[in-house]
Amino acid sequence: MSSSVQQQIFAIIADQAKLDVASIQPASTLKDLGVASLDAIEIIFDIEEKFDVTLSDSDADLKSDTVHGLITAVQRELDAKGTPALAG
Amino acid sequence: MQRVVISGHGAVSALGIGANTLWSALREGRGGIRPLDHPEAANLRVLIAAQVPHFDPAAHFDDKRRPLLDRFSQFALVAAREAIAESGLDFASNDLGARTAVIIGSAVGGELTRDEQSRRLYADKSPRVHPLSIPRTMINAPASHISMEHGLTGPSFAVASACASSNHAIAQAVQTIRCGLADVAIAGGTEACFSLANLRAGEAMRVLADDTCRPFSHHRRGLVLAEGAAMFVLESFEHARQRGATILAEVAGVGMSSDAGDIVAPSDVGAASCMRRALLDAGLNGEDVDYVNAHGTGTTANDATETRAIRAVFGAHADRLAVSSTKSMHGHALGASGALELVAVIGALREGVVAPTANYTEADPACDLDVVPNTARSMPVRAALSNSFAFGGLNSTVALRRAP
Repeated sequence: MSSSVQQQIFAIIADQAKLDVASIQPASTLKDLGVASLDAIEIIFDIEEKFDVTLSDSDADLKSDTVHGLITAVQRELDAKGTPALAG
Repeated sequence: MQRVVISGHGAVSALGIGANTLWSALREGRGGIRPLDHPEAANLRVLIAAQVPHFDPAAHFDDKRRPLLDRFSQFALVAAREAIAESGLDFASNDLGARTAVIIGSAVGGELTRDEQSRRLYADKSPRVHPLSIPRTMINAPASHISMEHGLTGPSFAVASACASSNHAIAQAVQTIRCGLADVAIAGGTEACFSLANLRAGEAMRVLADDTCRPFSHHRRGLVLAEGAAMFVLESFEHARQRGATILAEVAGVGMSSDAGDIVAPSDVGAASCMRRALLDAGLNGEDVDYVNAHGTGTTANDATETRAIRAVFGAHADRLAVSSTKSMHGHALGASGALELVAVIGALREGVVAPTANYTEADPACDLDVVPNTARSMPVRAALSNSFAFGGLNSTVALRRAP
């Protein structure tokens, strides 16, 4: 797992949800972080745009999935494309 | 049946923000038509437009809210805030929000969002569009956002009839109050239509002027596309009287008709029928009317057709009417036009000043009414009509009287 992917996803969530990055843990769900559903779909969109991947609806289950789950899904899509994680 | 009055108005237009900003310019004969400001301007045949200058969304909406709002919703919200503030209504008290309707007209809806997402799909070949595309684009978005911002839980919806949308929205609001479905209604129209697609569509229809908008002039060359919004607080006269509200004008009646003819060509029969119904609904005789704010787009077809219709309705009194097209100054903001024009009618009724038809050059025998050329006129205005005739042959006229 690339920590860069994690850092970038944390940064996107923090930016959209107006949270301190330090408050985000891999085990957090977006729901735990107080992210409303409309913000959550914007977060998913920003992640897809950032990494140029498309997440399936099951990978973007915002109520139950953790941030770790999102990171894993993005990494899996990046691996499938053969793309190294973006530097930033 | 309840009488309906206007107790607040707000506007965003090519003249800037504010109903009084718009009215001051109109009564001075000062227009907002300027060179088109658009990234593709150099490639377009559209040279001029009446665009809202220096509109900064961040000055009106915080970071969380802006992504939800297409420009047409932003204009609507800013205009509604002004109208509601002027009305002095407190929707939180006595559950007034539950008895307040929101009825907003627009011709093209969230056009800029739609255009931007199309660019992503077709030009950038992006596999995805912005996730808020649907709530931003939907034509009822302004009605929804106004209801949310002010806690208004009465009947709320959008009205679409192209360039007559505003007047149809006002008409619907009047009926809603008259029949007791609401005591108050926020109504008006909004438009933000300067997408590349819409500009190209205007070019293709060959209805856009390349010099300026000169309604009723012999050498008129078409309409000038505009954007903006105007919103009004309508309430039952009884409600306004009981709370001691300052009444701007009375909406005495509304008329609506459909040409059931051509999809774009105007009809004098349909337009005349619309004005007659407004007079009848208002209980006005033609002789009671001093001013008609014309649809007056500046196209060859409309202005001559509307002239014939006004003559058919008013007979000899047509020559005693002041008839002006303020589109010569605020441009043709499609579904917001009727609302912007209502600001001019309210000004005329309150101040006894009729805004002129600007940019007027030579008389056209086919448009032989007193069109108040170029300079505003001080005159008593007891009652007025405001016409809007849409593509699709859908007509609506609002009849207003001075505040009771």
